[in-house]
Amino acid sequence: MSAPPLSEGEGFSVSNFLQVLIDGILSGLLYALVAVGLSLIWGVMDVINFAHGEFLMVAMYISYWMGFILGIDPLFSWAASGIFLFILGCLTYKVIIKNSLGKAAMAPLLATFGLSMFLKNFCMNRFTPNFRLLSGTIMEGKTFSVGGAIISVPQFVTAVFALVVVMLVFWLVKKTRLGWAIQATAMDKEAAELMGIDTEKIYLFVFGLGGACVGIAGGLMTSYLAVHPEVGSLFSLISFVVVALGGFGSIQGALLAALLIGLVESFAGFYIAAVVKYVAVFAIYLIVILVRPKGLFGW
Amino acid sequence: MRSNKRCMFFIVLVLLFSLMAGASAMAAEKVIKIGALFPLTGPAAVSGQNCVNAVLAVADLINKKNPDINMPLAAQEGILGGYKIEIIKADHQGKPDVAKSEAERLYNQEKVFAIIGCYNSAATKPASAVAERAKKIFMCGCSSSAALTERGYNYFFRHAPTDAIESDEFVDYIGYLNKEKNAGIKTLGLIYENTEFGKHAADEARRAAKKVGLKITADVPFNNGATNLNSEVQTLKAANPDAVFGAALGGDYSLWVRTMKQVNWLPKIALNYCTGYQNPAVQKELAGDGDYFMGGMGYSPELAKKFMPEAIKVEKKYYTPRSNQPFDSDSIQEGIMLHVLAQAIEKAGSLDTEKIVKILQTEEFPCGMALSGSVKFAPGGQNMKALSVITQIKDQKYGTVFPLKFKDVEPVFPMVPWDKRK
Repeated sequence: MSAPPLSEGEGFSVSNFLQVLIDGILSGLLYALVAVGLSLIWGVMDVINFAHGEFLMVAMYISYWMGFILGIDPLFSWAASGIFLFILGCLTYKVIIKNSLGKAAMAPLLATFGLSMFLKNFCMNRFTPNFRLLSGTIMEGKTFSVGGAIISVPQFVTAVFALVVVMLVFWLVKKTRLGWAIQATAMDKEAAELMGIDTEKIYLFVFGLGGACVGIAGGLMTSYLAVHPEVGSLFSLISFVVVALGGFGSIQGALLAALLIGLVESFAGFYIAAVVKYVAVFAIYLIVILVRPKGLFGW
Repeated sequence: MRSNKRCMFFIVLVLLFSLMAGASAMAAEKVIKIGALFPLTGPAAVSGQNCVNAVLAVADLINKKNPDINMPLAAQEGILGGYKIEIIKADHQGKPDVAKSEAERLYNQEKVFAIIGCYNSAATKPASAVAERAKKIFMCGCSSSAALTERGYNYFFRHAPTDAIESDEFVDYIGYLNKEKNAGIKTLGLIYENTEFGKHAADEARRAAKKVGLKITADVPFNNGATNLNSEVQTLKAANPDAVFGAALGGDYSLWVRTMKQVNWLPKIALNYCTGYQNPAVQKELAGDGDYFMGGMGYSPELAKKFMPEAIKVEKKYYTPRSNQPFDSDSIQEGIMLHVLAQAIEKAGSLDTEKIVKILQTEEFPCGMALSGSVKFAPGGQNMKALSVITQIKDQKYGTVFPLKFKDVEPVFPMVPWDKRK
C-alpha cells in the first residue's frame, strides 16, 4: 500500500536511517518514563493501574493550564505536574487501592478502571474534548541537526529528562535503604513487616512515585503534543506492552523494552509502512511473551 | 396495620397521579424525536460536539419563531402545526460497532423518527445500514466517503460533497496553478488515516491524480490517535512530493502539521479533505503553524458573509452561544440535514416515512445555510447540489482561492517554509 520511502535511484540514505534511529530512541525514552511507574507499582504491589494513561492526561492538563493561565513554560511546570501526580498517586492508594487490596483479585484492577473512566469523563466535562496545544513555549519549533538528521529540542529535552528520571528511580530502588525496603516488600510483604518495614508507607510511596514519573512525562510532553481527554489511551496501551515486555517490576527491563518498542515503531513505520508500525510493536511483544512469558528481565 | 394500608394506598395514589400527569404531559407535548449520533468522546469528539451543537441550533431555528431569519420554517413555531423537534443525543465514540448498536437503540428504544449523523464515514456506514433494514430515514451531513451513496439505499441521504468531488476539485486547482502560475506540480503524496474515510479519500485521490498525470511518490496511511507521526512525515519528506493531499482528523491533523515543522519540511501545496483543517478550534491551537495550508470547504465565516447571510444569523443566535466559535464546514452540514428533513416532514403533512422519503427523493429544498442555496438528492442519496470551494488559511481566516468565481484572496504559493515564517 505504502510507496517505498526511498525514491528510485536514491538508494539507502544515511541521513534517513539516522533520523529514523533518533526518532525511535527519543520515542522509546518517553515510553520508558511513562511506563516505569506502572512497572514499579505492578512489581511491588501486584496491582495493575488502569488509570495510568489518565494520570498522564491529568499531568498534561496541569502543565497546559499552568502555561496557558500563568505563563509557566513546560520546561518548568513539569515539576508541578510531577508533585501533583505524586499526591494523586498517594490519594489513589489511600482512597481506592488500599480498600480494594486483599478482596477479590480483580478488585484493584476494576477500581483503577473506574478511576480512569472518572478522570477521563471529568476532564471531558470540564475541559471539553477540544485539542489544546501550547503555543509560544521556550522550546517550540527549536531543532538542531546531527549528521543530517533533525532533532526536535522539546522531544530531545523530554528524552533526556526521561533517561535521568528512570536512572534516578533505578538508583533509588537498587542503591538506597528505601529502595531495599521497596524490594523487600515486593519479595515478601510479611517478612518485610517482620523486619520492621512499614509496608503501608512503602505502598503509599510507590504509588506516589509511579504517579510522579508519569507526571513529569506529561508535564514535559505538553511542549510538543496536544492535550485532550483521550491523549493517554495509546500511551497507556504501549506502557502495558513495555511493562510486560520488560518484565513486571523491572526498571531496566522497562527502559530496554521501551527503547526496543520505540525503535521497532520507528523503523517499521519508515522502512515497511507507517500503518504497520503498531502491528510490528505488538508482534514483537507477542513473540517475546511466547518465548519468555516473564518478559525480558522478569523474575 | 391500618396505618400501613393507608400508607400503601397513599403511595399507590401518588404513583398513579404522577403516571397520569406524565401521560397528559406527553399528550400535550407534541414532539418529533430525532437522533443525533456523533462521536462525542474519542479522537473525533471535538468535531462530534460541534455537529451536535449545529443540529441543536437548527432545532431551535425550527422550534422557535424566528421572523428575522429568511429561511423556510424559521418564521413559524415548530412543524406540522406545532410539533417540536426533540434531539436525542448519542455517542458512537468513533467506533463502527458502537455506531451500529446506538442506531439500533435510538430507533428501537428511543423511538426516534430519523437519525442525523455520524461524522465518521466508518460509523455512518453500519448505522445507516441499520436504518435501511428498519426502513427508517438516515440523514448524513458531512461523512464524505463516496461509497456511502453508492449502495443504492432508499432511506439514506447525504449532504456533503464526496471525496470524489473534492479530489477532482483539488487536481483541477493543481492544473490551474500549473497552467496559470507555472507551478510545476508533478508529484503527489498522500497521508490519510487508515479508516473508511481516509482510505476512500486516498482511492479518489489516486483516481483523480491518474486522470491528470500526477505521479504519486508517497502513499502513507496511519493509525488515527497515534502517539507520534514521525515515520509518516519522514516518509513524506524522503519522497518530497510537490503536493500533498491530507485526510487527518482533529488532533492527528495538528500532530501532522507540528511534525512537518519539526522536520522542517513542507510540500509546495498541501490540500486537505474534510479534516482538522476545517476545525477552527484546531486552527486556533495551531496558530501561525496552520497558515498556508489549503482544503475543501462548504462553509467559512468569510464565505458566509458573501453568500450565506442567513447562516450567520443562525450561527450568532443559536450556534455560537453553544460552541463559542463559528460554524465549521462539517458541523453546518449536519444542521442543514435537519432543516431539509423538517421541510420534507412539513411538506408530507404527516410522519408517514414512505411519503417523506418520496419527497426527499424528488424535491429540491431551499436552505440558506448551504453554499449552493438548496439541496436536492440523486438516487442513492447524494446531494446533487453539493458544493465545495478550496480555501487557504492565514491568520485563522479562510480565504477562498478556487473556483475563481468564489475567489476572494490571492493564494500564497508555494507554502512559506517554516524557517521563513515570523
